[in-house]
Amino acid sequence: MFDHSEPTTPSSTSTPTSEHAPSISLDSLSKTKSAVESLSSILSSFPSNLSFSISSSNLNPAFSLLHDPQVASQVSSLLREPNSGAGDNNLCRWLYDTFQSGDPNLQLVVLRFLPIIVGIYLSRVALRKPLAGFEAILLALYAHETTSRAGQPITMNVPNLSLPSVYHEAKAPINNSTELNLAVISPSLEPHGTVRSTRRARIVGVALELYHSKIYHMPVGSKIDFCDFCVVWAGQDNNDDDRDLNKESESNGRKEGRIQLPWELLQPVLRILGHCLMGNTKNKELFDAAWAACNSLYARSMHDINPKALLATGSLLKLGKKAMEPSEDLDPTEIRKSNVLVI
Amino acid sequence: MELWGDHSDVESDSEWVRKVSANGVSMKTTEVEAKLDQGNIQEAEASLREGLSLNFEEARSLLGKLEYQRGNVEGALRVFEGIDLQAAIQRLQPSLAEKPSSRRGRFRTESVHAVSQHAASLVLEAIYLKAKSLQKLGRVSEAAHECKSVLDAVEKIFYQGILDVQVDNKLQEIVTQAVELLPDLWKQAGFYHEAIAAYRRALLSQWNLDNDCCARIQKGYAVLLLYGGVEAGPPSLAVQIDGSYVPKNNLEEAILLLMILMRKFILGKTQWDPSVMDHLTFALSVCSQTPVLAKQLEEIMPGVYHRVDRWNSLALCYSGAGQNKAALNLLRKSLHKHERPDDIIALLLAAKICSEDSHLAAEGVGYARRAINLAQGIDEHLKGVGLRTLGLCLGKQTKVSSSDFERSHLQSEALTSLEGAIPLEPNNTDLIFELGVQYAEHRNLTAALRCAKQFIDETGGSILKGWRFLALVLSAQQRFSEAEVVTDAALDETAKWDQGPLLRLKAKLKFSQSLHMDAIETYRYLLALVQAQRKSFGPPRIQAVDDKVNEFEIWHGLAKLYSSLSHWKDAEICLGKARELKQYSVEALHTEGVIFEGRGQFQEAFAAYNNALLLEPCHVPCKILISALLSKRGLKALPVARSLLSDALRIDPTNRMAWYYLGMVHKDDGRKADAADCFQAASMLEESDPIESFDSIL
Repeated sequence: MFDHSEPTTPSSTSTPTSEHAPSISLDSLSKTKSAVESLSSILSSFPSNLSFSISSSNLNPAFSLLHDPQVASQVSSLLREPNSGAGDNNLCRWLYDTFQSGDPNLQLVVLRFLPIIVGIYLSRVALRKPLAGFEAILLALYAHETTSRAGQPITMNVPNLSLPSVYHEAKAPINNSTELNLAVISPSLEPHGTVRSTRRARIVGVALELYHSKIYHMPVGSKIDFCDFCVVWAGQDNNDDDRDLNKESESNGRKEGRIQLPWELLQPVLRILGHCLMGNTKNKELFDAAWAACNSLYARSMHDINPKALLATGSLLKLGKKAMEPSEDLDPTEIRKSNVLVI
Repeated sequence: MELWGDHSDVESDSEWVRKVSANGVSMKTTEVEAKLDQGNIQEAEASLREGLSLNFEEARSLLGKLEYQRGNVEGALRVFEGIDLQAAIQRLQPSLAEKPSSRRGRFRTESVHAVSQHAASLVLEAIYLKAKSLQKLGRVSEAAHECKSVLDAVEKIFYQGILDVQVDNKLQEIVTQAVELLPDLWKQAGFYHEAIAAYRRALLSQWNLDNDCCARIQKGYAVLLLYGGVEAGPPSLAVQIDGSYVPKNNLEEAILLLMILMRKFILGKTQWDPSVMDHLTFALSVCSQTPVLAKQLEEIMPGVYHRVDRWNSLALCYSGAGQNKAALNLLRKSLHKHERPDDIIALLLAAKICSEDSHLAAEGVGYARRAINLAQGIDEHLKGVGLRTLGLCLGKQTKVSSSDFERSHLQSEALTSLEGAIPLEPNNTDLIFELGVQYAEHRNLTAALRCAKQFIDETGGSILKGWRFLALVLSAQQRFSEAEVVTDAALDETAKWDQGPLLRLKAKLKFSQSLHMDAIETYRYLLALVQAQRKSFGPPRIQAVDDKVNEFEIWHGLAKLYSSLSHWKDAEICLGKARELKQYSVEALHTEGVIFEGRGQFQEAFAAYNNALLLEPCHVPCKILISALLSKRGLKALPVARSLLSDALRIDPTNRMAWYYLGMVHKDDGRKADAADCFQAASMLEESDPIESFDSIL
């Protein structure tokens, strides 16, 4: 009905936006200024409006940086260069420093590139390329999450309808035997100073958990990058032939980039994918990318015979399919039509 | 904007004439519409006021509605903007004096009497249609603000909530529609926090919503919570009731709402909506709560899902939670020839479950073969998976095969299947690992080593079992120091709490190299680690328990170590500690026997071995030790010893100690040639025993 696109300008009471940005502190502004300056020395051509806007009326320059398509495409292509992950890489250095600046708006800019960082990183691990630059960024994200969670696990009380809740009534249980079922969504975090290979999936998984918690602020392009990498990681051709495979993986041979998908990695991947597919079905480009990713991961789950992944990806496929069908439901918020209008 | 598409054919019909009616009078709208089309709102309004004896607001409202129904939302908006709706709402609010003194008092049906209800619905409908017009013009956030003012007004006018008896149908309809529309508008506008607040307001206040509407709102909210990417936070304290469940994060709230929706379907209060189950499946499987999902599936009335679909989904749920026995029972039903025997996913899952249990492996072979045959057309890509599970099942079947011939046949078939899967499943690292283990079991250590190295390379060393496997293969090649280097490298790549199995391996490697003091040191460190771990996590651990070393194993390992050094006193102390942790253990009884034997207490040793065999009749080391003891008692006991050893070899044909003692028995019995064969077998096998059995890591 409406050509309503993904809110590229996330507007919510808690988020400063370019339109109604609350006063951004001077400290934050100077951090952003220096981040923009150092980034402009790394990128070959820096959008003039951005560097200009710092000094002028732009109220939230970090926000502009996050959503600037030119910056995104330049950073993305630099990250995809063969030796981009090395310890002495300028861009990695910049991403690390920018995240460590502690400014939440600048941290979003770093998170925006997490899909590419993780995607390139995981696919390159087996190739024995220098990756210290990527690892420094990932460890910084992991440490941030460890501190903000105080190392504690994220748990959940699985609802039990025999107990009354805010949304429904139930007879109070006779005894207290109806215990709540405690589920661990993300186990406790221990500090890591280096990426030990057996903890790699966990460290990346936690970084993705952080990404998921901020996904509302992420530009569509970042989410599409993520979905494209899901296809690469799954390493599975699926039956849908109308899908165009990631170009990079195609040129390198068909199943390049397939990685192990342990649950600690797959779980945050699936949650992000759920958002990409169902968060806003009106953005066609994102929906298509997410749909392709779901198909690939479903095929991969079949090959791994992974029951949990089969259930999760299978249900997403059913939901996605339903979203693609034209809705035949009557709009319940439409007033009844009649040819006699009554007051 | 094709808003009236379903009416377009009717509209072309000349019979279609709109009428307006009020105050018992009705009139055709042709004339009014003509005026509106000329853009003359005042005149249109005037003719309505005249024709129907209406006041200004009534006429405007009716006019707006007329424009809205005509599909002219811009026109409708112009009309509505001409009314001061906020002032109208002000007039409708009851004065403070009118409010009843007791909070729980009966609603003032008299105070909001029929006339003001009529006025209220007139104004509220006008605001609502203004919101709808704005929505259709794409001005969604403005629409949301208008829609919100409808609800604010309703709350002010009926500040105790709405009960059935109080309001007329028309007013109720507007309220219901506004309640449902508001969160949707915020969502469309991208204001997710406001949408969450609007959903909660819809669900937690008294609006007297009908079941279907409430279900739609609950589902919409659950979807936003699950996929919106905005954390809602727990609902305010005001709505929390003592002893009731309060969701504290998005997942909890979404799952609660979806479960309530499922309950409503089951009770027949709302229509079945399959997508609710799909959302619930996603939410519960992502947080690994598949048994809860299974319970939900079981509660659904028969007839909603085909029984086979339900069995298969249940099987996935149970298998996802490690309850493979229950899963397999369900799959057996669904794969029955009268049900759906050709479901390839069900076949593969059944085969995989069977491949983990040697007693089910033969059954699994059947499922895997069926899956391979079915892997055609669009399922052709699953052929490799079929071959892989077939290989795993066959490999497992060798553990229970009754004859040597059958065993070697199965083993080579297993290898053929796994090798056949390799080209179909390129870059599948798990498959490489499994093939390596199969090679190792077959004592093709060179090939096993190649696979182990490839696995570590391709996984970037990220999988612990890869390191352990490499170390075991090296240990089987008697390359202990290299195995130790690998173990040390693995320890570097492992976080402290996961180092247990590697340290145990390292202790055993030190022991194999006769570095006894180092071995003891390693065990001591391991013990400290395990004890620290127990303290820091507390007994009811929420950490995954798999792959962890328990304290019993350490004490027992130390007991074995000391007994091999003939430090009987220390060995006994350690064994005592071990037995405190696990009273009936075959391994502990075995070591106890060894200690007795070392001290020359043969009778007690014999008893200990026998007890061990009573606990586990297939325990090979005890069989061997009993026969060794028996063979020392002279010729009379030799046949018993021989039969025990044959039995041991049937279970474990690559056990060099069994071959060695069988050789001794043959020698004592005077069968020199047989003895020589056995000794030769023993000497060949000596080269290829891993330090821990290969299937301990699969």
